[in-house]
Amino acid sequence: MSSIENSNCNYITNKKIKIFFDGKSYDAFEGDTIASALIRNKIKLIGRSFKYHRPRGIYTCGIEEPNALVQILNEHNEPNTRATIKRVYDGINISSQNRWPSLAFDVGSINNLLSPIFSAGFYYKTFMGPRGFWKKIYEPLIRRTAGLGKPPNNFRSKSIHQNHNVDILIVGGGLSGLIAARKLIDTNYDVLLVEQDSYLGGILKNSNKVDSIDGKKTTDWINETEKLILKSNNIKILKNTLVTSYNFTNHLIALEDKFVGKKIDLDKSELILHKIRTTNTILANGHIERFISFRNNDLPGVMLASSFEKYIHRYGVVPEKNPVIFTNNSSTFSLVKSLIQQRCKPLAYIDARKKEDIEDELKDYLKNHDIQFFPEAEVEGCQGNKEVEKVRIRTNNSIISINSSMLCISGGLNPDIHLFTQSKGLVKWDEKIITFKPNTAFQNTITLGSVSGNYNFHKIFEEVEEKLSFLNINKYVAKIEINVEDDYSITELWETKNDKKSNWSKSFIDLHNDVTTKDLTQAIDEGYDRIEHLKRYTTNSMGTDQGKISSINSLGIVSKLLNKKISEIGTTTYRPPYAPLSFAAIAGRSTYEFYDPERKTPIHNWHVKNHAVFEDVGQWKRPWYYKKHEDETMHQAVQRESKQTRKTAGILDGSTLGKIEIKGKDALEFMNLMYTNAFTKMRPMTSRYALMLGEDGMIMDDGIICKISDKHFIATTTSSGAPKVLAHMEEFLQTEWPHLQVYLNSITEQFTTFNISGPKTREIISQIFTEIDFSNEKFPFMTFKSFNYKNTQVRIMRASFTGELGYEIYISPEHALELWETIFKHGKEFNLVPYGTETMHLLRAEKGYVVIGQETDGTVTPVDINFNWMIGKNKKDFIGKRSLKRSDTAREDRKQLVGVVPLDKSQLIDEGQHIVECENLPKQIKTPIEYLGHISSSYYSPNLNHCISMAMIKGGNKLIGKTLFVSTPSGIKNIPVEIVKPIFIDPENKRLIS
Amino acid sequence: MILINCPYCGEREQSEFTNGGEAHVVRPKDPDSLSDKEWGQYVFFRSNPKGIFYERWVHTHGCKKWFNAVRDTSTDTILKIYKLSDRRPEISEFQTTLKSPSGEPIVGSGNFAVKK
Repeated sequence: MSSIENSNCNYITNKKIKIFFDGKSYDAFEGDTIASALIRNKIKLIGRSFKYHRPRGIYTCGIEEPNALVQILNEHNEPNTRATIKRVYDGINISSQNRWPSLAFDVGSINNLLSPIFSAGFYYKTFMGPRGFWKKIYEPLIRRTAGLGKPPNNFRSKSIHQNHNVDILIVGGGLSGLIAARKLIDTNYDVLLVEQDSYLGGILKNSNKVDSIDGKKTTDWINETEKLILKSNNIKILKNTLVTSYNFTNHLIALEDKFVGKKIDLDKSELILHKIRTTNTILANGHIERFISFRNNDLPGVMLASSFEKYIHRYGVVPEKNPVIFTNNSSTFSLVKSLIQQRCKPLAYIDARKKEDIEDELKDYLKNHDIQFFPEAEVEGCQGNKEVEKVRIRTNNSIISINSSMLCISGGLNPDIHLFTQSKGLVKWDEKIITFKPNTAFQNTITLGSVSGNYNFHKIFEEVEEKLSFLNINKYVAKIEINVEDDYSITELWETKNDKKSNWSKSFIDLHNDVTTKDLTQAIDEGYDRIEHLKRYTTNSMGTDQGKISSINSLGIVSKLLNKKISEIGTTTYRPPYAPLSFAAIAGRSTYEFYDPERKTPIHNWHVKNHAVFEDVGQWKRPWYYKKHEDETMHQAVQRESKQTRKTAGILDGSTLGKIEIKGKDALEFMNLMYTNAFTKMRPMTSRYALMLGEDGMIMDDGIICKISDKHFIATTTSSGAPKVLAHMEEFLQTEWPHLQVYLNSITEQFTTFNISGPKTREIISQIFTEIDFSNEKFPFMTFKSFNYKNTQVRIMRASFTGELGYEIYISPEHALELWETIFKHGKEFNLVPYGTETMHLLRAEKGYVVIGQETDGTVTPVDINFNWMIGKNKKDFIGKRSLKRSDTAREDRKQLVGVVPLDKSQLIDEGQHIVECENLPKQIKTPIEYLGHISSSYYSPNLNHCISMAMIKGGNKLIGKTLFVSTPSGIKNIPVEIVKPIFIDPENKRLIS
Repeated sequence: MILINCPYCGEREQSEFTNGGEAHVVRPKDPDSLSDKEWGQYVFFRSNPKGIFYERWVHTHGCKKWFNAVRDTSTDTILKIYKLSDRRPEISEFQTTLKSPSGEPIVGSGNFAVKK
């Protein structure tokens, strides 16, 4: 292990720490990123590429990194972390990705030699057949090889959300962002300044380009500015915060990392998702350098020139003392100066620009420092085993080979227009700087500095002054001294001509997704000549880096191939997020038990104590069935509960049923309009089973309506339908019939409900409510009574969802558990059994009662389920009435509700199976088999000792008595069944009204 | 996410509201007198213009009140919000599409540069 050094960098401390990479320990400095630490240790090979498993190294020094993605083992195995961003701390455990068995020897790299078959559209072309191969061979294979990192092994909630409402948001704390902020100090605007790094300064700290501002050294100027901002009363700075999306109405999302360079604390949220609303957005988020395509431009050792310079200034590490520099523009000059300053020297400087376009200052400097200079030249390619060893330069049509382990490239600067285009601003191609730059803003967006295409430091104060002149701000102008001439000049160069052609030699356009320039050519040959199609077909710029260093290059190459101007090709659409953010960050605290509220009934703890197994119904936790003993299966429990209820008595916690109170002068008229039933002639203190339809005539919900008087009703709804029903009523009340004086109130949680039923029910509750006469004459079916009981009021309704004698008891929640336990005390001698939702479903199916959402699916009318009797035909109007007469709704061959019983009583029918006319399905289906309908409910009835099912069948009413067949989940033999009326127990309702 | 100015509560995030589709679709007074086609028109058909659109909103996670809004669907800008009891504003009160998000023509969508 080589010793590491820090060359006088302000941003890195001299505190040494230990990090682990692929199991080996290395020294690093506090403040290092994974990338800078590995560079310090002379490590070049970081990972393997996505498709060809080619060796890859560190290509950049920031968010744009396409190659150096790693897995952080000690942070829940966090995958695809950008090594160029993630800061290290003592003991961080990092692993490389996408290699097996090891990084140096990776079996998958065979793909590189097989690459002719992995060309553009590979997936679309290859995995087409033969039949059955997809499921058994292709899918498992792709799943194993897909992606880069492995998924994290312990998801946990780790972010909180914070809202901001500001007047001005400044994105980027670089030179132009800081000037804008200084102009806003102590003004009347609320300002938020967001910077992705831990330090302000941007290009001032990342390069050697600017010497002084306002007569002060750049670091002093930055510190002074930061101090002034912190002292101000209106500007807040967020560091380590990355703006990831720019949405409509100036709504931006930024993600702050609270644990930069620190070991995460499992008890604390490490991320804050900032949701920012602003009136004006100032984008000062700078530029990103792009690369150039040439042969093996992906070898470890190839690095962007500005990134190389950033490593020197921001991290105090020189990746290589004598690199070769290859550029097509003027921005790389400062790198040469930085290297010389560090007493290093480039081996060669290759400039693609014409001799006369190259600045004299640069030419003289290279000459004075005796640096090999190749004007009007280009890199043909580079070679080496797992890293750059040789750089081949084409100059004057001859090739010169130079031995070097590092090649710095620059293909020009792109304004970082991601956020601007996300905001729906329009960009325009600039022929002078050869890139897209912001043109027309769609929202209140201002771009400052290099993001606006202004690469000239001298003009920066002027630009800020002019663009912010509509605001009421401070005057602030200063002089900027620069180190290198900053009249940006560039020549167009996307790809160099390469001489050697072999399967190993590739010229990449997208390093992240392993897309080569050859793939682009091939895709265009195949007809994908629109940029959006081309992108998807080749997966170009579709990696997690979104092609930040290469997408403009691909436009350049495509424009050449299609012989069009780049402005005619257009850009692909930039979509949020700007950089990957984990789902955990978006989820915030809405995870696990906080994801959705859990609603529990007042009896919940009793259910738990009595070994209930719960089922989710909407947000409610409902007992599904009760385990009598450890080994009892669900089937056994349900059979036991069902049998006991029909034999003596059973009780269900029905508190989850929705309850809505309807009050007011016009309550009767309103109810007549909302439900199919007629309520006018209904006597007070009686109740009725009622249906609610949509305006399309389809069943929406059902429930029991209690009429207290013409001005007061209580409606029950299904457990999960309550909010929908209330909203539906409220909508019509407000929008269609505002003249009706009616008030609605949800009282679901104000009343706890028990449904007790079975032949012994009357005996049990007579012992509790001793003053009430429960006889059939005094308390007939579908009536209710309200009375005082102990210190509260109780309402009891005689109703049943099981077909047995039954009562629904409503009581206030605070008295509920006491009453529930009293009922059990008195029910003991009758073996009263608590039952859950599964038994409820079984019992109602035996009786042929429908469940909304099980028998019905939004395409079922009341007529389809034989509920003609529930339609108030004499009513002039109700919601859905007219639709019942529509030709399609009135068809006789609609799917209708029937009962289904297997001919062989030992056979079981599955829910969801199809009903057909043939006994056996053909081995190979050549013509479609006619489908008559489906099984909507199916249970094994313990009271009848065979399977009973309900089904929706086309023209079902006419098929009663017929034999049909039901498919099975396996095999081609169908089950012969008899179609019967959908009622299996007590068709005369003797038990119900006993 | 846009901001919506509830006429009863003030400006709130869109997530508090539910869109209720086209506004000013009045439920027929005498449904029985309508033909199947006329009734079907009321139940199933709504307009979906690119540009000025009159629509309904309800402040679901707030006052639960319904109200109307005029929105430019091409820019997602709410131009006016008014109570159900208020007069329906004339379409001439509003400027049609100022500029659509990607500068595309009124009809069609996609890459502005390629489309020409």
